[in-house]
Amino acid sequence: MIQFFKSIPFHIKSAAKSLVRHLVMTLSAASAVMVTLVLLAAFLMIAGNVSGFADHIEDEIRIHVILGENIVSEEQLQETKTEIEAIDGVKEAELSDKENELKLWIAEKGEIFSMYEGENNPLHNAFFVSVTDPDRIAEINDTIIALDFVDDAMYGGNSISTLISMLNTIRSGIIVFVAVLGVLAIFLISNTIKMGIYARTNEIAIMRNVGATNTFIKTPFMIEGMIIGLLGSILPCIGAYFGYAYLYNAMGGQLFSNVFAFQPINPFVFEIIGILIVTGMIVGIFGSFLSTTKYLRWKR
Amino acid sequence: MILLENVSKSFKNGVHALRDVNLYIEEGEFVYIIGPTGSGKSTLIKLLDGELIPSSGRVVVAGTDVGKLRHSKVPLYRRNIGVVFQDFRLLPELTVFENIAFALQVIGLDKVTIRRRVREILELVSLEDKAKSFPRELSGGQQQRATIGRAIANSPRVLIADEPTGNLDPEKSQEIMELLEKINQEENTTILMVTHDSNLVDMNKKRTIALEEGYIVADIQKGGYIHHD
Repeated sequence: MIQFFKSIPFHIKSAAKSLVRHLVMTLSAASAVMVTLVLLAAFLMIAGNVSGFADHIEDEIRIHVILGENIVSEEQLQETKTEIEAIDGVKEAELSDKENELKLWIAEKGEIFSMYEGENNPLHNAFFVSVTDPDRIAEINDTIIALDFVDDAMYGGNSISTLISMLNTIRSGIIVFVAVLGVLAIFLISNTIKMGIYARTNEIAIMRNVGATNTFIKTPFMIEGMIIGLLGSILPCIGAYFGYAYLYNAMGGQLFSNVFAFQPINPFVFEIIGILIVTGMIVGIFGSFLSTTKYLRWKR
Repeated sequence: MILLENVSKSFKNGVHALRDVNLYIEEGEFVYIIGPTGSGKSTLIKLLDGELIPSSGRVVVAGTDVGKLRHSKVPLYRRNIGVVFQDFRLLPELTVFENIAFALQVIGLDKVTIRRRVREILELVSLEDKAKSFPRELSGGQQQRATIGRAIANSPRVLIADEPTGNLDPEKSQEIMELLEKINQEENTTILMVTHDSNLVDMNKKRTIALEEGYIVADIQKGGYIHHD
């Protein structure tokens, strides 16, 4: 292990030498990584925002459960809360008492209803019930209505759950696409490194002859791959930052309405940049790991 | 030091390179291996340095069963044996000093030790004044001495020389011979030398093993080339 760290300068030197020697190949591999990362960045931005939209909407949709008139005591409320939360798929039931209900009513319908404040409040106690899986919201709503202490229950309606499942589909589609792109980039890098290996067959043969371990032979190539990955991630990172900032400001931070608010530039873009750099490096290391391992396996 | 027990090696294409070879070589011995092209000499070398695995039988070098080595352990084993090739195989963009140092860097020695050892080696192979030269600036004999220097840099217990004089004129060949004998005596390195050169074998008589079509056809302690009528 200590030997390994001691030999790191040697490895970096030989990796750098090889990168410069095969400059054209290095640049072509780096641009392959670059194209992949640009696409990855674009898709991460879409995915991040779509998932932001979805989370936002998911937060909005809760079932408004209005309790029967006779449910008033602290004890009864606690009992009903427990009973609702026991339903499969219910995340939480949050109490909204008469007074709060009226406040919401006033906020929605106008100041005139403030005359009902105090003893005259005709509204019932209620719960806002959030669910774990928005796809099952209709089913849970029906279950709650069927409870005998419940007067009524309602939620945003079918359009919202359709929208959510659509957003989820888009999200998983994007993940698959990004994975495919990653595999493509690994393939390209591993091919480039393979050319580097063939250009250095002699050197590797001698290294094996004098007893260099496989790790020792692989390390400079891995560093080479890592540097290619890093080089390829520079432009996409810069592009991601300025591109997103431009779009964000041009669109005023939202798409159509504030339900579709964009993720704020900080930290969203920096997270994406981090992912790009790490992905570039991992793809580079993995690509060269594949080709060196494959090459060395056939030599003893 | 080297033990081959009923070793056979055949390839997928049906060639039987070695057939039922039994061989024992003591520590510190100097042995010639002779035989025509295709007699199995190269295969024997590749079995010894772990490049090939015997189809049957056992190859034991310095206590290691070479055929049973795991892939990742082969490099560690190889630090015990040096190999010298007919075509030198020096790295063209490194100087003589760097070429020899390379063998030591690769096994992770520190700079000071490397520098000291390389100087020792350069002295042994009489290339002190060529330390900063590149291989292309050297004559064939000098290049071969540099290769031998690289092969013995990490003090291997066995040195295998594959036709080390194949590309050299008789005078230079004799020089290389003397160098190998010096290494054999001073470092007590066991040396296996594969050769075609009948003059050399006749002039420097040593134990000689003759291979033909994969069989050992002669193993003569007093030495001398076997001439066919």
